[in-house]
Amino acid sequence: MKTNIEKLFSFEGKVIIITGAAGAIGSAAGHLFASLGANVVISDLNEEGAKKVAAEITKESGKEALGIKTNATVESDLGELIKMTIGKFGKISGLINNVGWGASTPIWESDSDKMVKSYLLNTVGAYNLTKLCMPYLEKEPNASVVFSGSMVGVTPSPEFIEYSTAKAGLMNMVRSMAVVSGPKVRFNTVLIGSVDNGDSTLAAGYDPEMLRRLAEMFVMKRRGMPMEIAYGMMFLMSIAAQWITGIDLRIDGGGSYKSKMPGKD
Amino acid sequence: MKINNLFDLKGKIAIVTGGGNGIGKACCLMLSKAGAAIAVSDLKHEDALKVAEEINAAGGKAIGIACNVTIDADLVNLVETTIKELGGVHVLVNNAGGGGGGRENPYKITVDKFAWVFQLNVFSAWRLSQLCAPYMKDTGYGSIINITSMSSINRSPNMSAYASSKAAMNHMTANLAMDYGVDKIRVNAVGPGATKTAALASVLTPEIEAKMLENTPIKRLGEVDDIAGAVLYFAAPVSEWVSGQVIFVNGGGVQTLD
Repeated sequence: MKTNIEKLFSFEGKVIIITGAAGAIGSAAGHLFASLGANVVISDLNEEGAKKVAAEITKESGKEALGIKTNATVESDLGELIKMTIGKFGKISGLINNVGWGASTPIWESDSDKMVKSYLLNTVGAYNLTKLCMPYLEKEPNASVVFSGSMVGVTPSPEFIEYSTAKAGLMNMVRSMAVVSGPKVRFNTVLIGSVDNGDSTLAAGYDPEMLRRLAEMFVMKRRGMPMEIAYGMMFLMSIAAQWITGIDLRIDGGGSYKSKMPGKD
Repeated sequence: MKINNLFDLKGKIAIVTGGGNGIGKACCLMLSKAGAAIAVSDLKHEDALKVAEEINAAGGKAIGIACNVTIDADLVNLVETTIKELGGVHVLVNNAGGGGGGRENPYKITVDKFAWVFQLNVFSAWRLSQLCAPYMKDTGYGSIINITSMSSINRSPNMSAYASSKAAMNHMTANLAMDYGVDKIRVNAVGPGATKTAALASVLTPEIEAKMLENTPIKRLGEVDDIAGAVLYFAAPVSEWVSGQVIFVNGGGVQTLD
C-alpha cells in the first residue's frame, strides 16, 4: 500500500522517453523514473551506452527499459524513436529533452557552421521530438515535457557562445509551448548549474583546477550530482506539480557568489 | 540518498504560519503526511488547534500555537514553544500574510497601512528565519519556504503595498539563501497563482474567474494541494541542491483581479 506522498510521486504505468540518456544526468533520470515505476526509453547517440544503461535500469528496478540509438539532429531517427517506443510500450506519458552539448569556444572564434550546428542539436532537435510526441502526450493524464536548460543560457557566457545562445533559445521555446499547452501537456525547464558529469565536463574544456575553484564559488561549496538534477525533473513531472507549467526551475546549489566563470589562471 | 527517502521528513519538525486555513493548512497536512511533526501557527488559536487535532487524530504529531506574526514577542514564543514541545525546528513555512485584494488605492492608503503590509509579509518572515536558523544550523538540516505570490511579478492596480511586499520576499529569499547556504539551510519560495481558498473567494466573482481562466493554460484555478506539493518539494531532501529559488505554481498563466 502506497502512502499519499508516494502516490504523488509514483510513475507506475508511465512511459518516459529520455534523450541524451547514456550520459550522467539522463541515465540518473532513467534510474530514478524506473525506480518509481516507469518504463523508460533511453535514447542516445551512443548506441552501446544507451543499451548498457537500459540493461542496468532493468536489472536494478525490474522495469523493462529500451535503449535506442538516436541522432537528435536527424528527423528520421526521431521518428524511429517514437515508432520503437510505441511498438514496445504503446504510449508516451512523458518526454525529457535532455540531449545537448557545447564546447568552449572563444567568443570571436565561432562561425556560421558552429552556431547552426549547436542550434540544431540543442534547440531544434528538442522541438522536433516534442512535436512528434504531442499526439501521444495529449492522450495521457498529467503528460509532461521537461527540458534540460543550462545556467549558461541565462547568464553572459562568452566561453560557450554557441551553446549558451542555443540554450537561451530553448528556454523561450519552452515558455511558448507552455502557453499553448492547454490543460493537456505541461512544459517546464530545469536550469542546470555546474554538475559533475564526469568525462564530458572535462571534454568541454574544463580542467580539474578550474572545477575545484568553480565549486568553491557556490553557496553550497560543491558542484551538483547528476541525480540531484533528476530529482527536479521528477518533481516537475509528478502529480504534485500538476498546476505547474512554463517555469524554469534552477538547480544550482544556491547559485554562485561570483558571476564570472573561473579562468584558467 | 535512497529513493524512498526523497520525501521523507520523519524526525523533522516544521513550523507553518497561517496554518489554520487554506494553503497553510494544506502545507501542515502535506508535511505531516511526509512524517514531520508540525507546529501549526495561526492568528486564531482555535483554528491552529483544530488543524493540530486533525493531524494528531490521523496518527501524526502536531501542536497548535496562537501567533500574531506582526508581534515580535509572539514570534519568539512560537519558536520557543516549538523547541520546548517538539524538540527543534528543521522546516519553516512563512505562509502567514495579507493585504492586497485590489484594496490599496494609493490616494487613500496610509503609510501605516502600507508599513503594516510589510510588517505582516516581509518582516515576520525575515524575523522568523532569524529565530529558526540557529536551530537549523545545529541539526545540519534547514529549509525555509516563503509563500509569496504571482503579485510579486505582476502589475495590477491598487496592489502596490501587497505586490511590492511579495516582490521583497522573493528577493529576500534569494539573498538569505546566500547567507545561510554555508550552514546547510536552504531558502526558497513558492509563488501561488489564484488558489481556491476562503481568502480568494472573498474577492472572486464568476466573471473574474472566467477571465482568469482565459489567461491560464491549465484551465482551472489552483487547489491548495498544488501549492503544498511545491512546499513539500522544497522542504524535503529531494531538493537538497536547490536554494534561492521561486517556483510559481500558477497553471502556466497570470490570474489577476482586474
